Amino acid sequence: MSARSLTIEYNDKIVRQFMIASIIWGAVGMLVGVLIALQLNFFQLNFNTSFLTFGRLRPLHTNAVVFALVGNMMFAGVYYSTQRLVKARLASDFLSGLHFWGWQVIILSAAITLPLGFTRGKEYAELIWPINIAVALIWVVFAVNFFWTLARRHERSLYVAIWFYIATIITVAMLYIVNHLSVPTGLFHSYGIFAGVQDGLVQWWYGHNAVAFFLTTPILGIMYYFLPKAANRPVYSYKLSVIHFWSLVFVYIWAGPHHLLNTALPNWLQMLGMTFSLMLWAPSWGGMLNGLFTLRGAWSKLRTDPVIKFFAAGVTFYGMATFEGPLLSIKSVNALGHYSDWIIGHVHAAALGWNGFMAAGMFYFLVPRLWNKPLYSQALANLHFWLGLVGILLYVAAMWTSGITQGLMLNSTTEGGTLLSYPNFLDTLNTIRPLMLLRVVGGGLYLVGWLLMAYNIYKSVKGASAVNGTIEVVVEDDVPEEERPLGAMVTLWNPPVIFSALGTLFACVWMFGGPFLQIVGAIGTALSVMVAWVHFESKGKRWADWYERLLVSAAPFTVLTLIAVAIGGLVQIIPGIVSHQAASVEDRLQIPYTPLELAGRDIYVAEGCYNCHSQMIRTLVPDVLRYGDYSRLGESIYDRPFQWGSRRIGPDLARVGGKYPDSWHYRHMEDPRQISTGSNMPSYPWLNENDTDVAALPAKIRVQRMLGVPYAEMTSEEIQAAVDAQATEITAGLKAEGIYIAPDKQIIALIAYLQQLGNYETVTENVASRPNP
Amino acid sequence: MSENEKPTVLPEDSKRKHVYDGIQEFNKRLPNWWLFTLYITIAFSIGYWFYYAQSGLPMSDGERVEAEIARIQTARLSSDLVIADANLWAMSRNEAFISAGKETYASLCAACHLPSLKGKSESIAAIGSDLTNGEWVHGGTPLAIYKVVDEGVLAKGMPPWGPTLGIKKTAEVVAYVLSYHEAPQ
Repeated sequence: MSARSLTIEYNDKIVRQFMIASIIWGAVGMLVGVLIALQLNFFQLNFNTSFLTFGRLRPLHTNAVVFALVGNMMFAGVYYSTQRLVKARLASDFLSGLHFWGWQVIILSAAITLPLGFTRGKEYAELIWPINIAVALIWVVFAVNFFWTLARRHERSLYVAIWFYIATIITVAMLYIVNHLSVPTGLFHSYGIFAGVQDGLVQWWYGHNAVAFFLTTPILGIMYYFLPKAANRPVYSYKLSVIHFWSLVFVYIWAGPHHLLNTALPNWLQMLGMTFSLMLWAPSWGGMLNGLFTLRGAWSKLRTDPVIKFFAAGVTFYGMATFEGPLLSIKSVNALGHYSDWIIGHVHAAALGWNGFMAAGMFYFLVPRLWNKPLYSQALANLHFWLGLVGILLYVAAMWTSGITQGLMLNSTTEGGTLLSYPNFLDTLNTIRPLMLLRVVGGGLYLVGWLLMAYNIYKSVKGASAVNGTIEVVVEDDVPEEERPLGAMVTLWNPPVIFSALGTLFACVWMFGGPFLQIVGAIGTALSVMVAWVHFESKGKRWADWYERLLVSAAPFTVLTLIAVAIGGLVQIIPGIVSHQAASVEDRLQIPYTPLELAGRDIYVAEGCYNCHSQMIRTLVPDVLRYGDYSRLGESIYDRPFQWGSRRIGPDLARVGGKYPDSWHYRHMEDPRQISTGSNMPSYPWLNENDTDVAALPAKIRVQRMLGVPYAEMTSEEIQAAVDAQATEITAGLKAEGIYIAPDKQIIALIAYLQQLGNYETVTENVASRPNP
Repeated sequence: MSENEKPTVLPEDSKRKHVYDGIQEFNKRLPNWWLFTLYITIAFSIGYWFYYAQSGLPMSDGERVEAEIARIQTARLSSDLVIADANLWAMSRNEAFISAGKETYASLCAACHLPSLKGKSESIAAIGSDLTNGEWVHGGTPLAIYKVVDEGVLAKGMPPWGPTLGIKKTAEVVAYVLSYHEAPQ
């Protein structure tokens, strides 16, 4: 056996760059968060400027925190730990640099386009199509750089952190690409290929799993590296790592529909969303246990080491949030919590507590190592911790109270359940205002803590010279048999994979089969589990040996991970795509928008109205009493993007059409408080000044036709004529009410759109059997 | 307690042979309570799926809501309030009805008809018409006013409040408005 020794210098420059970017963008993202939180109490704080309105800044806040703060932090952590775990320098300095600068350009372009109102109108997927392509490309750069590094590794066996990184890279690529498939209508605008309920399903398959595979799995990987390093303790249980990794990546993907409970989403999908969310509880807590139990024997450091403080609190918040998630996924709990501040509290417990604290712990760990100089001030870091902790607790407590209060008020009925106790939505909003203000205090404290960290790190590295880690590795040219990668056959043909595949297959047959197949599936599932159990009890060593071999086989490991994460999405999304669309509309079909209404809808999307208003009346009595008959999925079947919403800071708009006169909407958009005393909705004076973009309509309608919306073929002139006719009619009506406005202003298009919300045609046999457009 | 202080090394305290950048791993067994949590959620999910998707017993969400709304409509219709001109005039002289109606008015009607009830007479920007001057666009009898509040006048932008308010509260609001007018002798 020949062996040679070689010295490797890690690429730590890229780690430093990503770390600093995360701190800076994180501060920006949180600052925007504090501003928009204040706007909810003081509507004047957009200064009547379109690009500072809540509807445009809220996407900026979420995107900044997810993609800029956590994204950059994740890249820093992944690059630092991977190099050390596989004993290899990052494969390409060029790709590393391209990854860094490409990502920053993406963030910068997001920070410019979102306030300008360029958006796709889907949460955490708002960025317009040219930026989508850039994100996908840079993600591929990241993937190539990462897997190439794995290919050049000197440590054959993959540590659990690397498993999570692999799952992150392939799953985010899959989710991002599918949810961003769209057809451009111009440089800044596109329509997604999915519409209505399909769009909703794909969006939350993406949105939920962005939480899973962008905010959770990479951070779990980071936890598995940095926490045992900082505590200087062995990881609690390898066995638990294996079980919770595979159950987490398999189960997470199925849980997306819990964002659409009690809506028009078909019930079987809602049930999958709820049950898989419940089953996700234990796998998530497996990660928390492995984190907290690793600290056994190191708890004394909790008093002295800020890094351990942040990690311990971060992992605890992870445990809290992943208990709360399943709880909120129970349909009856969701009826109360959905659309309310409870959800906001839930995500901030995770974002501030888990992501933010893990980031801070990691940065405090990295600074002395990357600059070879102790941290400037332990006291400041401790102050950061306590400010942050108090901030999170205030924030979360305020939002829980606010969400449950408003949920109870909105759902409360009186007179034997026949009347709403609070028919005026504003009564419920104004009740929670003090709590929304308390949230600003909590978030503000957290931001101050973050700025202290920035200052502390700045003082630490000022004047210090950056150092890169090095390591001596012994390279053995001859690889022993048990360290050679698995072939394709052994990857798939082995007890763990076979039994998992059989169990999943039979379980699907049981769930979705007809009466006979249900029995076959149930028996098959039970048999698979029992035989697997017996086999494991008697031949468990074979399972363990196979897994050890899998750990030295990066490509087979990646393939199995891809299979595990792909199944849930395939089962949920494919049926809706292949099934007859018109046949699945229940009893109602949406009437396609007129050109003016379509233009108005795009204004609605661009202004981010969906950030505060849902268009989905749930199958719940209080919803029906308040907003009218519950929404059928056929009523939004052509909507690109779907606008079902996720938060009701204002009332639902699914059936607002025809409820009020045009003049009501005009005055309400001009200054909502003219109509609704105490409203916190911003005024939209620029809608009276800006012209509707009629020139873009021919391209938009062409794309809609191409995607299957039954528009008649129209020339540009016909479109213009249709717009003019409808706009003139609306302006004439307004004039009769004493309102003088030109027909080409955006407000007219928006009124046209709002006034048709809730229109539908009843589906007859004839319509239902119409071929799929 | 630190693992190092344990007198004997249990088999499960054995560490894996691989050490990754100095990180060691125990191979401890899974905590029982954790396993039970996993099994219970799986068992619940199976039962839940069987009951809701396969047993055919529960109503669908839509059916359940429709049944409940039908019950509510029946209950509303069986209100023992009699809505007639004379009754509404009588209510409009009754302090309890007037103050209850005033509360609802302030919350829902004042936005368009203004707190003074004077609507367009007071401000050109107001959306609702004057309710105090004795000019009734849609008929001035108590029943006609009740009908406007109950069913709305969509063309003029008056929303139907009956579905939100029910018979009693609608009657109260009408009584409050009528309290600004002289009752016929």
